[in-house]
Amino acid sequence: MSIIQINKLTKTYHDTEVPVHAVNGVDLSFEEGEFAAIVGPSGCGKTTLMNMVGGLEQPTSGDVIVDGSTMSKLSSNALIDFRLRNIGFVFQAYNLIPVLSAKENVEFIMQLQNWNKKEMDERTLALLESVGLGDKINSKPNQLSGGQQQRVAVARALASKPKFILADEPTANLDSIATNQLLDIMEKLNREENMTFIFATHDQRVMDKAKRVVTLDDGKVISDILKNP
Amino acid sequence: MVLLKIAWRSIWRSKLRSAVVIFAIASGLLGGLFSSAWINGMAMQRVKNTFAYEIGHIQLHNPDFSENMDVKKTILDTNEKIKGIKESQGVMGVTDRIRITGMAATANKNLGVNVVGVTPETEKKVFELYQRIDSASGGFFENDKKNAIVISKALATELNARLKSKIVLTFQDFNGEITGAAFKVVGLYKTDNNPWDKMHVFVKNKDLRRIIELPEDQSHEIVVLLNDYEQADVKAQEFQVKYPDTKVEDWAEVSPYLSLMSGYMDTMMGLFMAIILGALGFGIVNTMLMVVLERTRELGMLMAIGMTKKRIFMMIMLETIFLALVGAVLGELLSMFFIYHFGHVGIDLTSMAEGMESVGYSAITYPMLEGYRYLQITLLVIVTGVVASVYPAFKALKLHPAEAIRSI
Repeated sequence: MSIIQINKLTKTYHDTEVPVHAVNGVDLSFEEGEFAAIVGPSGCGKTTLMNMVGGLEQPTSGDVIVDGSTMSKLSSNALIDFRLRNIGFVFQAYNLIPVLSAKENVEFIMQLQNWNKKEMDERTLALLESVGLGDKINSKPNQLSGGQQQRVAVARALASKPKFILADEPTANLDSIATNQLLDIMEKLNREENMTFIFATHDQRVMDKAKRVVTLDDGKVISDILKNP
Repeated sequence: MVLLKIAWRSIWRSKLRSAVVIFAIASGLLGGLFSSAWINGMAMQRVKNTFAYEIGHIQLHNPDFSENMDVKKTILDTNEKIKGIKESQGVMGVTDRIRITGMAATANKNLGVNVVGVTPETEKKVFELYQRIDSASGGFFENDKKNAIVISKALATELNARLKSKIVLTFQDFNGEITGAAFKVVGLYKTDNNPWDKMHVFVKNKDLRRIIELPEDQSHEIVVLLNDYEQADVKAQEFQVKYPDTKVEDWAEVSPYLSLMSGYMDTMMGLFMAIILGALGFGIVNTMLMVVLERTRELGMLMAIGMTKKRIFMMIMLETIFLALVGAVLGELLSMFFIYHFGHVGIDLTSMAEGMESVGYSAITYPMLEGYRYLQITLLVIVTGVVASVYPAFKALKLHPAEAIRSI
């Protein structure tokens, strides 16, 4: 079943004299449980595509339909709420809240959704255990390594039980050991909990792990390869 | 709850910057509150002194007396009225006075004065002038000697008089004739109001009554002291109804200057604090703008993961309010300490005593600030924090999450 449907998606920037077509008529769909990578050279439109799928940018034309909802038709507030309930984000620079501990960072999303404390505590601990940080729950981001911070970010992204996770260059700032640990965790979550992951990356290690690789160039899909399971 | 946590902890992210802002707020409030307390203390002292030495809380006169202090415009049935007033609730003391204008003369000099005829026993229950005569300067009619007079030290200097000196008072009697008598100085007083001191001399009621031939049971003035001076207007109305043949005035009517000063102090203090808080507000705006700029990526991330604009706004506002409140609490604690300390030991401006007393103020002033003022200031600081947070918070709301996340 398709949870993300992208139809003739275009994003054109008019900041310069010559319009830049960052995404140019992309048609794609992603099924539940996919572990997909969007790849391509710098400036090919990966991040712009991810931003539009995540509802962070409005397309110039075309639609992104997530679980039956057309993102561009949602009001600003409805879009924020939609993101909160349906999409998990993992960013290149981790982007944890520095004044909160690992546990509080993960809880944060659930608090925004008004979860009750008992459920919140249980889920937070389970998530931090699942990313191998059960012993770091009270550590602040500055007390964690880059890999550990990114794992907290993954736990945070999963906290609200989203329909899918968008990870934009999640390994770009990590060494190979941390990258492998992170990818193993994400692969396990995908395998065991059927969580959908979509990566924007040009990290070969991510591409190797991905089950589907979509290649963009000049804002267009130039290949879409589904690897054999 | 989580917003409170983030806002509070965020203050301490940049300790030095927050410390500078907190110190600025604290020192601004300390300066503002202490100056206000000082001015307020001076004013309150002036008010209390005026009550204690000059006017009491309520005065009754013949309705026509105040126009030109006509010796014939007396209050009738004085004793009955005093008795009635004494029985009224909230009255601490009542005394009657004979008031005439005249000339005080020694061998050296003549000066115009207000002659006040007093009944020493009841006068002491209303006025504290007797306490302003030090042990080396005689007393306030301590014995029953005839034609005794108490004058101020300032007047004594002018007239070149001292204790036991003779002073001749000349004035108009009840029949309109010029009369006079010699009085012996038995006491020298000194208040903090030099001009007033030079104008007022005190003699005994019975001496003056005899000399000006004023009939018994008549006086020019009845003065009332209350337990609470703020009740003066209510009690004055009560006495006015009870004694319609007199003109009853509370202290604010007797001395509009005092009333004006009380209101003026409130206005001054409000203005003073508004200027200080306004200046601090701009400092806070600047700091919070820096905070928003520094945290662009974090704010973008919060927006991306689903934090509503309302919550972002609230978070910035809470952080601003916390920052302002920490400074306010510190500033208020420091202010309380200094106001309490100097409120007890006083601020000694003896070197400027002459100048200050020439306008009716004490040379030693005791800063004082009512408790509710601190609460008022706290609320004002919160309001300042809220107002100061609006612009930075709007700046934060204008961020575009996708761009903000990519910012360095």
